Amino acid sequence: MIANHSFKNRIVIISFVLALLLAVNVMPPAAANQVGGIVQVYIANTDDWQSYQNHGTGILRQDDNVAGIQQALLHTNIDVTSSVSLNAVAHYYPDGEQQLGFSQLSMQYKPLSPNKIKFKARAGFFYPRLSLENVDDGWLSPYTYTQSAINSWVGEEMRTLGLEFSIYSPGRARRSPWSWEVVAATFKGNDPLGTIISWRGFAMHDRQSLNNDRVNFAAYPTVIDTDFIWHPDYVEPFHELDQRWGFYTGLHFRYFNQTSLRYYYYDNQADPLAVNSQRLYGWRTKFHSLSFQHKLDNNTRLISQLMSGSTVMGLKYVYVDFDAWYLMLSHQVSQHRISVRYDRFIVSEDDIFPTDMNNSDGYGLTLAWRYDLNDNWQLGLEQHFNKNSAQNRAQLDLPVDANQQQTLLVAQFRW
Amino acid sequence: MKFIKKIFWLGSAFVCINAQAIPVTFDVISNQDSPVFQTVVYLEPDGEVEIAESKKQVAVMDQVDRQFMPHILAVQKGNKVVFPNSDSIKHHVYSFSPAKQFELKLYKGSDAEPLLFENQGEVELGCNVHDWMLAYIWVVDTPYFAKTDQNGKVTIDVPSGNYRVKVWHPRIQDDLEGLTQEVSINAPTNVSFRLKQKLLQDLSFYEQAADKLTDY
Repeated sequence: MIANHSFKNRIVIISFVLALLLAVNVMPPAAANQVGGIVQVYIANTDDWQSYQNHGTGILRQDDNVAGIQQALLHTNIDVTSSVSLNAVAHYYPDGEQQLGFSQLSMQYKPLSPNKIKFKARAGFFYPRLSLENVDDGWLSPYTYTQSAINSWVGEEMRTLGLEFSIYSPGRARRSPWSWEVVAATFKGNDPLGTIISWRGFAMHDRQSLNNDRVNFAAYPTVIDTDFIWHPDYVEPFHELDQRWGFYTGLHFRYFNQTSLRYYYYDNQADPLAVNSQRLYGWRTKFHSLSFQHKLDNNTRLISQLMSGSTVMGLKYVYVDFDAWYLMLSHQVSQHRISVRYDRFIVSEDDIFPTDMNNSDGYGLTLAWRYDLNDNWQLGLEQHFNKNSAQNRAQLDLPVDANQQQTLLVAQFRW
Repeated sequence: MKFIKKIFWLGSAFVCINAQAIPVTFDVISNQDSPVFQTVVYLEPDGEVEIAESKKQVAVMDQVDRQFMPHILAVQKGNKVVFPNSDSIKHHVYSFSPAKQFELKLYKGSDAEPLLFENQGEVELGCNVHDWMLAYIWVVDTPYFAKTDQNGKVTIDVPSGNYRVKVWHPRIQDDLEGLTQEVSINAPTNVSFRLKQKLLQDLSFYEQAADKLTDY
């Protein structure tokens, strides 16, 4: 399986390089090919709860006092025609299971139109635009390194492999302070979405899953027992297992550029009885997401998101309701940005196997200071605390409750 | 870019240094007696006025911090406008206005050729990447034009003669022909415009609240 992974990785890298070469050579104006990148290196001081990435139950990305690469990504936007562009984000991660690959690869169609109500569409592999936190290049957060519980989950398990259509109306062209957009999408894949939060619970990190990635979690005995649930201690979230189409629909409202509101309803329509040879299941995952941003003034903003949903696997072998929200305040003073975010996340079960415990919950507090030395270089310091509990830690003879903390010192270079 | 600005300022100065110039001061106020900032005021001479020799100018419509700069640009018919990009991201400027239809993809650091504006009237600009970006180019058929300042005032130096004085602003709802005044200029003169109808809503807040973290 690992060999298969690395083969697929190679195919992905070769495709990306070929796509870039093709774009550079075929498209007449060289400037039309916009390539940029971000590299972050970090020094971490973290507690020793073994990370989910190393099959532990800790909800942070690191579990050791180490230094390394936090992010290394290339993003490109290539104009194919006046209306069509290719967007790609390729990453290198030293941690996790897939080191090289894409987090996003899509074509966008956005024709010029004199109409007050316009149309645009995307096709490929991309994020639904739920988040008002992940607004930097490569879907990174410009506010904190450790992202909200909601968007940590979106980054690790959710991606649209399909088509997204939007009808939108920019307010200024209508002489109105209000802009709006209606979004509808349909997609394949992403059938195992929900697996990780049902067993591990929500986590807090910035490790995005790549196109063919695998996310590890602890080998809970009830999960891996071939006479019980019989599921591996990992999920590969982007598999198509049942040939069904998922969908989501969204509404965006914006008042000037000051206040934004986004509502999404998401349903992957997965067949909870679908299972593949790896014993990965379809998880029928549905949720509502409401995101909000308000700029109190030119330097200060409030950002918040609420998510509420459920997921079911098998004949209700696992059924959980999940709820999470965060509230962030971010303030910029000259070249400095200071952000503080409070997170709350709860997963509660109501299924036929109470011995396979799924209840988990937690709180998080994240404080970050990021300083732009110039257009290319940025320094940042983040302190994160969380208090989380997961009942299934008892299966591994671990305390149910964990207090975790992490200090990150990060240097970033972008071009 | 410095060269272009030099041409622009030299061109602007030309009207002012005309030896026979007579200053005409304009005052534009709303129906609620507040000054109307950035109103384009222009004087169309009748046939007998000796029109200053038209000097070709290149005006600048820049993209700065995800906004057009300026929001309103007045140019004389037959002149060119250059569209630099002072941002480090792509813009896609377009117009569907009958007076000038075009699209320009402006990449980081790219130099687009200036565009010629040959027809009078309104050219509304948009950006297909940043939907809140909007600006106007108002093309006039006279070398005597300017925009009002924060106090709704501006002074234009013109040769003596008879003129039709006109104003334009995207927020003005009054009939523009109805606002036109016939004036005879022989000595320094003040000309006032008081609008009868309410101005359309002020949307300049779009420019204050935009930043690089606005959307994706």
